[in-house]
Amino acid sequence: MNVGVAHSEVNPNTRVMNSRGIWLAYTILVGLLHVVLLSIPFFSIPVVWTLTNVIHNLAMYVFLHTVKGTPFETPDQGKARLLTYWEQMDYGLQFTSSRKFLSISPIIL
Amino acid sequence: MATAAEQWVLVEMVQALYEAPAYHLILEGILILWIIRLLFSKTYKLQERSDLTVKEKEELIEEWQPEPLVPPVPKDHPALNYNIVSGPPSHSIVVNGKKCVNFASFNFLGLLDNPRVKAAALASLKKYGVGTCGPRGFYGTFDVHLDLEDRLARFMKTEEAIIYSYGFATIASAIPAYSKRGDIVFADRAACFAIQKGLQASRSDIKLFKHNDMADLERLLKEQEIEDQKNPRKARVTRRFIVAEGLYVNTGAICPLPELVKLKYKYKARIFLEESLSFGVLGEHGRGVTEHFGINIDDIDLISANMENSLASIGGFCCGRSFVIDHQRLSGQGYCFSASLPPLLAAAAIEALNIMEENPGLFAVLKEKCKRIHKALQGISGLKVVGESFSPALHLQLEESTGSREKDIKLLQEIVNQCMSRSIALTQARYLEKEEKCLPPPRLVDMQI
Repeated sequence: MNVGVAHSEVNPNTRVMNSRGIWLAYTILVGLLHVVLLSIPFFSIPVVWTLTNVIHNLAMYVFLHTVKGTPFETPDQGKARLLTYWEQMDYGLQFTSSRKFLSISPIIL
Repeated sequence: MATAAEQWVLVEMVQALYEAPAYHLILEGILILWIIRLLFSKTYKLQERSDLTVKEKEELIEEWQPEPLVPPVPKDHPALNYNIVSGPPSHSIVVNGKKCVNFASFNFLGLLDNPRVKAAALASLKKYGVGTCGPRGFYGTFDVHLDLEDRLARFMKTEEAIIYSYGFATIASAIPAYSKRGDIVFADRAACFAIQKGLQASRSDIKLFKHNDMADLERLLKEQEIEDQKNPRKARVTRRFIVAEGLYVNTGAICPLPELVKLKYKYKARIFLEESLSFGVLGEHGRGVTEHFGINIDDIDLISANMENSLASIGGFCCGRSFVIDHQRLSGQGYCFSASLPPLLAAAAIEALNIMEENPGLFAVLKEKCKRIHKALQGISGLKVVGESFSPALHLQLEESTGSREKDIKLLQEIVNQCMSRSIALTQARYLEKEEKCLPPPRLVDMQI
């Protein structure tokens, strides 16, 4: 679903991780975090890898499993108001590709 | 040189693998297996599919009897035998060719065939044509609409007003624009059908309190407060609303607004007031039930009224603070997704407002007439009058019901026919029996003009 397109998607939050190029953007962001941590002179390389892993996991936990609802109003009278982002993804369909991607990335790290 | 360096690193890696502690290797192995499992697992939905065997499915299919597309309807159903009105329904109405005194229209101030209002509508018709052919967002906003909104806001002394093109849709769109799933609405049992549909569309938790019973409402609010204290984080995100009508259409009673405002500030709820019957009727200048009780209009969060009663136009409006009303410009379903009010009706409403502002004596006359009729109708044997003495819409209810609703309705229809034969036009209050939440008993409606 591209920006500026008229769509019938009731809750766009569910389809964000299916958009074109978002997996690449995600990996680049993690890489950026890693490079930023590498540039701090105090940490040695294994410590930096650990820190990347930990910070990535913490950030993902907060954004995916803690924050509830949507940042915009949806036309379905607030069905997703009490759901976290993980529960909202793909309208509750389990084991879709985006969910698998997001599950595998901390394991790889 | 490069290959030697590579091999050297490889040797180091293999050595590291041998020297690594066992648990680390096992953990890594488990993780790799987990990745493979995730990659190969199928997508499935969370809801349970019904596990009916093929035999059970066949049984169910065989048992099924189709219902008729059109259910059988008795020949004397009121919707099939309607009365035909020719001519304007003003003080006298011509029903089925017979001229009767009109006690059945909501034309409270008699502005329906006022020559000034008609002239304004005709002038607007000549200028703009008949319809607008567009919702407010797609070139359906005319200057008369903005003018009417401005005039209504100034008349009601609020910051802003918004116009809807259908009176029923006004409150039915306003409630779901603010109240969503998980919010709590305290509504009166005798709320009109439009409010009930709005509450149903909002998908919120509805808590009904007994009609005009502030003690019952306070009990419900207290229970809610106790629930809130158990889970304060959830309570902080749920919104609470109280929906009441100024003058109830179903009972003719007036809502105790000062107590409602007190409860609002005590329990932190928001009030939505529906003033369809009281706009242009109550109060010194016709501003409704807030003026009647002398309450500051900023205490009420949203006032919604339809213009089909006193203003003798079509449509409805909501007024309140800008912050509240502006939200409906994008979220009010009846505003965004319906064609806007025809400009001739908007011009008629503006002229009606002019008349209301010029003669505030109209409201005193109306009140006096209401009181007179109310007094005159007391003491009819077998019928009791339901409604306040200054309410323009009264109900005549059977003192003792015959036991079944159909018999009551038949008896009332006999009374209506008798009155019609003596040139008095009355009507029965109609309800969608299967759709109403709390069905009122059958009664006759009696309106003032």
